[in-house]
Amino acid sequence: MTGYTSEQLQAMVRPDRVHRAIYTDPAIFEIEMEKIFRRVWLYVGHESLVPNPGDYYCTHLARQPVVLSRHADDGICVLFNRCGHRGARVLNAERGNAKVFTCMYHGWSFRPNGALAGVPMRKDFPEEPLEDPQFGMARLPRVESYRGFVFASFNPDAEPLLDYLAEARHGIDELVDRSPESKVALSAGCHRYHYRGNWKLQLENLADMYHPAACHASTVGPDGRQFKRRAGAEGGDAAFFAPNGEAIVAQTGVRGLNNRHSSEASLFDREQSGGHWDDYRAIMVQRYGEERTADILKNRRHSMTFFPSSDILLAQTSVRVIRPVAVDFTEVEVWPVRLEGAPESISDDLVRFVNITHAAASFIQSDDMEAFERCQEGLTTQGSDWVLVARGLGAEIDEGSGVLFGPRSSEVGQRAQHEAWRDLMGA
Amino acid sequence: MSVTAEARAAAGSNVVGLDELRRFIEHEADLLDERRFDEWCDLYTEDAAYWVPAAPEQESWLDHVSLFYDDKATMRTRVQRLNHPRIHCQSPPSRCVRVISGATLDGVTTDGAWLVRSKFVMVEDRPGNPQRVFGGRYAHTIVHDGERLRIRLKRVDLTNCDQSFPMLTQPF
Repeated sequence: MTGYTSEQLQAMVRPDRVHRAIYTDPAIFEIEMEKIFRRVWLYVGHESLVPNPGDYYCTHLARQPVVLSRHADDGICVLFNRCGHRGARVLNAERGNAKVFTCMYHGWSFRPNGALAGVPMRKDFPEEPLEDPQFGMARLPRVESYRGFVFASFNPDAEPLLDYLAEARHGIDELVDRSPESKVALSAGCHRYHYRGNWKLQLENLADMYHPAACHASTVGPDGRQFKRRAGAEGGDAAFFAPNGEAIVAQTGVRGLNNRHSSEASLFDREQSGGHWDDYRAIMVQRYGEERTADILKNRRHSMTFFPSSDILLAQTSVRVIRPVAVDFTEVEVWPVRLEGAPESISDDLVRFVNITHAAASFIQSDDMEAFERCQEGLTTQGSDWVLVARGLGAEIDEGSGVLFGPRSSEVGQRAQHEAWRDLMGA
Repeated sequence: MSVTAEARAAAGSNVVGLDELRRFIEHEADLLDERRFDEWCDLYTEDAAYWVPAAPEQESWLDHVSLFYDDKATMRTRVQRLNHPRIHCQSPPSRCVRVISGATLDGVTTDGAWLVRSKFVMVEDRPGNPQRVFGGRYAHTIVHDGERLRIRLKRVDLTNCDQSFPMLTQPF
């Protein structure tokens, strides 16, 4: 490993602070790609992106082009998007359907499970390499789904997905249970934005209930209320400040889960109501019963963030994916989710409101991007080597099963992420 | 295409032609260039929408995400935020110029609204940041409310609408 020993990398994370080099040093970024992104489970996409055999969806994992595909017999596959012959990227459209995936260079073709299907003028090749799966489109060694969410790992020895997600899997449950059919679809496209900053700046922001009062001041109107961010009579347009002058969001708690994931508690203290929400609720009660419906719709969590690169935005009924590109450049996608079996108007509203909260042009995300870029620049200074994440340190409440609750916008979520970073990078 | 007499009558005006419609959309661009956001918002009818799709030939704002889909209330919130002293992503503010070309009258709706299509380029500079260039097509649906021209729908189709974007703060 160039330049850093495992001990040095471990020493960059302390209980209350992390070293600025983890955001700025290109050598550390390369180590992260190997020791984090090619070791753990990464979210690839949702099964609804490839509903039929031959469907494919192209994305990137750890900077490498990959394909999520569906094969008639093998089901969901994740392939490296690379021709087994001379290495060209095979699929060029983001999504599509094909019986075989054909390389533009010499015309080799592959089945949706990666197996070699056709080689022009085949008899001039020795047969032996053509039988070898590595000269097909190679498959990632591990692929597992949880309730439609497909994860993959480059690491053949990765623990089972549910052991990795641990308590964080309940974030997926909370999202999927909102569908009367327990089925969601990522069918409304996605927002894509990028910023000139490290990927962890976005990751840490997903567990940050402390920043909105300052960072998002411009989203609060002269009446002291934040703009409406959800549909329904109780759907937002909420008072931003508590009577004691503190931002209500900063009085909200955060959880660190299993020393890697994080979750923000919900800002909303009651169910939405009014209009077509009531129709939706009636369908839910029919399906789940009153007690279970009230439990599903009680607004438990604001977010659930899976280390290192994906997030369920429960407040926005959306899925976010962080894609590190370089040490100081990151792309992000935000996919609103449609709830199968719910009135169309409910899902339409979800699509519409995420435009104003999380698009590149949205009221919230634009100031976060400004913060990430200013952090990246500030962290290049030599004034201090340390970044403080000490808020609420020592005040955590152990809820069992590896869950630590930190009241009042604790930085317990960032600390959990940093622990995972330290353990993986220091291994 | 010329404006029909019926359409003019329905719109309450006999004098609006392509020249005036072109001047009107250029005036809209000037208001945005000059950051006169309140006056810009006031050009839109109460039932207006400002729409920037996130996919080429996107047909609906309901079943697919959009870069912007603002009804009038959301436009007001957007303008309020653009005018807010603590909008960090506009400190310092952007300086923009929008250049419009090729305006054509593409039709008149049965209720007398004019559909004006044009092409545009917008250059955005924000000190300390790389210069950015956006381009695409405008489609304005314009009505006459008896006193003045107003915009009922502005659709902006960017050439790169389905790509990744840095923070966007300025309406196109």
